[in-house]
Amino acid sequence: MALIDMKNIKKDYFLGEAVVPALRGVDLDIEKGEFVAVWGPSGSGKTTLLNLIGAIDEPTEGFLKIAGQEVRSLSDNQRSELRNETIGFIFQGFNLIPVLSALENVMLPLQIQGVSTATAKSKALARLEEVGLKDLIHHRPFKMSGGQQQRVAIARALVTDPSLIIADEPTANLDSETARMIIALMRQLNEKEETTFIFSTHDQRLLDRVRRLVRLEDGRIVEGGLSL
Amino acid sequence: MMKWMKLAVRNILRNKRRSLVTLLAIGVGFAAISLFRGYVSNVYSGLRISAIRGEGLGHLTIYKAGWLEKGKLDPERYMFTKEENEKAIHLIQGEKEVVLATPQIQVTGIVSNGITSTIFIAQGVVPKDDKTIKGAWAAFRPIKGASLDDKKTYGVEMAQDLAAFLNLASGKDGVVMATTLGGQMNAMDIQVNGVYDSGSDATNDKFMRFTYDFARSLVDTQSTERIVVLLHDWEMTEMMRSKLLIKLNQAGLNCEIKTWNELSLFYSKVRVMFDVIFMFIFSIVLVIVVMSTVNTMGMAVLERTREIGTLRALGLKRRGVSLLFALEGGVLGFFGSVIGIILHIIGWTLIRAYPPTYTPPGISTPVPLIVDLVPEVLTVLMLCLILLSLLAAIIPARRAAGQNVVEALGHV
Repeated sequence: MALIDMKNIKKDYFLGEAVVPALRGVDLDIEKGEFVAVWGPSGSGKTTLLNLIGAIDEPTEGFLKIAGQEVRSLSDNQRSELRNETIGFIFQGFNLIPVLSALENVMLPLQIQGVSTATAKSKALARLEEVGLKDLIHHRPFKMSGGQQQRVAIARALVTDPSLIIADEPTANLDSETARMIIALMRQLNEKEETTFIFSTHDQRLLDRVRRLVRLEDGRIVEGGLSL
Repeated sequence: MMKWMKLAVRNILRNKRRSLVTLLAIGVGFAAISLFRGYVSNVYSGLRISAIRGEGLGHLTIYKAGWLEKGKLDPERYMFTKEENEKAIHLIQGEKEVVLATPQIQVTGIVSNGITSTIFIAQGVVPKDDKTIKGAWAAFRPIKGASLDDKKTYGVEMAQDLAAFLNLASGKDGVVMATTLGGQMNAMDIQVNGVYDSGSDATNDKFMRFTYDFARSLVDTQSTERIVVLLHDWEMTEMMRSKLLIKLNQAGLNCEIKTWNELSLFYSKVRVMFDVIFMFIFSIVLVIVVMSTVNTMGMAVLERTREIGTLRALGLKRRGVSLLFALEGGVLGFFGSVIGIILHIIGWTLIRAYPPTYTPPGISTPVPLIVDLVPEVLTVLMLCLILLSLLAAIIPARRAAGQNVVEALGHV
């Protein structure tokens, strides 16, 4: 069974009375352990597609199943639980909570789950060590470089052992060297833990490292919609 | 819970200046209410003692059933006979909560110095019992001259303005006239034992105190109008009213019992007035606290929209976001109240060290402005303000929780 199963997904936005179609009937399936890049020109619907896969948005029409759960039939609370337990997010702007230390940021998804502080701490420490930030666990985000912040975000995305990681332009705000390190780290985690990575990007270095490219144009998949 | 509390505290410390203004608004509001409540508490306590001891109302006043409604029309019928009086006092004094039960009678009439006459209202009291009721309060308004004396039944106490009007000082003679219960006019000689301050402008020009025996002779009766009961503890007043009512009724004495606060018109009116003022001040503070908290939390929601989106994306439910912001409101209320307690203690100490005095309307002498430190009031007020801040934060918190995750994440 595919981890992501999308059939004829449409997504419209409403600007006043005008309807703006962002996705015009997308079919896509992604298997566990894939390392998938979604790319295409600006306005092609990449972010909308990732938002739907991340269960933070709802399609206007179509069938969407994530990890065996039909998203449109889930309540808001059930979608929150699905995100918390199954999906990890890496944002372009890192989106760390500024009043929390690196360790506390990484512990957060587990604490939302209700995991005990001791367990959350040990899991978060392990993930921070994995991304090479063992010595910066008590640093607040503003005291860290962009690359370090993104590594904290990766650790945070991984800490609940999700089946799926969604990354929206993860290297867009990073310099080349740091971007290369982040790409290598993501690839390594994908291979080691078989965690599925789906990300949108314009970064050719990242596109060169993926096994599967999904190309979008005008809200339609024009390449790579089905698993190889 | 502690982790969310920690997060709430850190978020409050994020914008220190704005949080400080809100905390000060809550703190000053708290101190305003608590100091006023402390002052009111002292006034209530003073008025209570003044009514029970000063006015000589005791804690309970027992009348024969029907006296209050029809007693003036047919007094003899609604007064306790000598036997009923003795029986009632015996029964009442059998209760361990009772200090004493004493008969009293009120007389109205005309008092004259031989040249000038004016009206008077006098209480006929048993001197030694009256002394017990007054207790330490007597020192607060000392009598010029001598007190009532069982052995000198014609010796009376006269309120100071009445004495001044009639030019009667301690040791001077006069005459009192009143209608007997049988409807005859009776006159008796008096000698002023002492002159006292009734404490009120309204009564200082007409009040007198007679011995119980003298008052009964003047109205020519052996009956008793009422029995005044003094208790060990004023907080037992209501309980003892019910208990005595049952006991006396079961003994065949149909009575009605009034408490000191029901009989002290002054206490009741002052209490109503202060309660209204208190509610007015409380309402103003309530509005300030709610507005400050709503404003602070509203700004916080606006500034942290992206963070709210992130938390929602990480799986925090709408209720979790609401609780997080409501918790911040509650924490603001808590620390604001702590500041309020500190301000209260500073204000309380200053007032204790340099107590100002003032003359309330209708009172004949200046009184010190004292503020009581009432821990129960501070605790209740603190809980109230925490709850209020928490509720005030729910409005912006609900707005935060209701945001679309995608829009929140895209917020700049």
